[in-house]
Amino acid sequence: MIYYLPTIHSHHDGFESMANLASESKELLFDKLEIDFSRCRFFDANMAAPLAAVIAGVADNLNSIEIVNISTSIERILRKNRFLENYGYTALEDTNRTTIPFQRLQLSDGGRFEDYIQYHLKGKGIPDMSEGLGRIFKQSIFEVFQNVVIHSGSRLGVFVCGQFYPNLQRLDLTLADGGVGMRTNVRNYLKQNVSSVEAIRWALMQGHTTKTGSQPGGVGLTFLKEFITSNEGKIQIVSRQGFYEFQSGKEEVFKMESDYPGTVVNLEINTADTKTYRLMPEISPEDIF
Amino acid sequence: MKKEVIVRVFDIVGGPLCVSAEDGQIIYEKIAPLIRQGHKIVVSFDRVETIISAFLNAAIGQLYGEFTEEQIRASISVRDMTNIDLSLLKRVVDNAKVYFKNKPSFDQAWKEELGDEE
Repeated sequence: MIYYLPTIHSHHDGFESMANLASESKELLFDKLEIDFSRCRFFDANMAAPLAAVIAGVADNLNSIEIVNISTSIERILRKNRFLENYGYTALEDTNRTTIPFQRLQLSDGGRFEDYIQYHLKGKGIPDMSEGLGRIFKQSIFEVFQNVVIHSGSRLGVFVCGQFYPNLQRLDLTLADGGVGMRTNVRNYLKQNVSSVEAIRWALMQGHTTKTGSQPGGVGLTFLKEFITSNEGKIQIVSRQGFYEFQSGKEEVFKMESDYPGTVVNLEINTADTKTYRLMPEISPEDIF
Repeated sequence: MKKEVIVRVFDIVGGPLCVSAEDGQIIYEKIAPLIRQGHKIVVSFDRVETIISAFLNAAIGQLYGEFTEEQIRASISVRDMTNIDLSLLKRVVDNAKVYFKNKPSFDQAWKEELGDEE
């Protein structure tokens, strides 16, 4: 089958297109998927992660994948971030150092993910990004990765990609998986058929966790949301038919028309932020327990 | 109270990143027996760069499932943590206290999700 990919931004529409591609190719078996970029005018580089997760699901059904009619400018972006390497294109050197290259990892590859983040986050937005901000951002990324490891059950692994936009002083990092989605975990935990949007909202509340063992949970996502608030950044979560976005104190939620086969988290941080780290309340080690 | 023991997180985890529940579990397995034996424990985060909640939930939050708040307060102290990490640890601890107070019994039959519709 041929799928004409439209313009893809890290917006609701872009994620909807990814979910649509997944739905359209759901029944494809021992066949071929041709992703035609002729109608794609722009592609936000970090969106290679959710696209790759969808493509991995199609390939898992023993289909071949081909990427065709890609414009020179988009080709450059996706060769620089190495996404196109798997489809017969050679990588281009990222001379401006604005790319956090595309990478596919297994859930058990925690060590490789650590190396990847340690290596590629260096220099992105720095010296603009303060050391303190860099630390909290890194912490947030690892929170998301660990959530994928604990909750997604993604047999296909995790797909990660990022892009630094120097003029906007924004850094986007996107993690996508091909797992069960938040909805399944929340439904099993609450024993109620909640929608994807309700599941995302539920999971974002302080103390809410679907963990039932001896290790507590329910702190990570709240921490993330508070950090994004203070940093004036953006968080987007897509999980199955749920779309959630939090930016400038405002939440937007939609039920998506198509079903994204897993979960995507996109973190966008304001790299010019110097106040987040300084505004942390002073806590004494004596007052912890 | 027996001898004070320093648990050096960096050395046990083997680096500056405390970013998995698995590594947190290793720290928990060092700390819990020491509390049982009546030691005073200092958990040092010297040279640690990044800590996430899943690590702290496993390493420290989990202790509230076995020990009372009084026992933990009397046995453990932390040091060499940045203000950000202290603030995260405080949340993890407060959350763990609530988690174990309200923990429902999940021994009942686990109802699997039915159907694929929203």
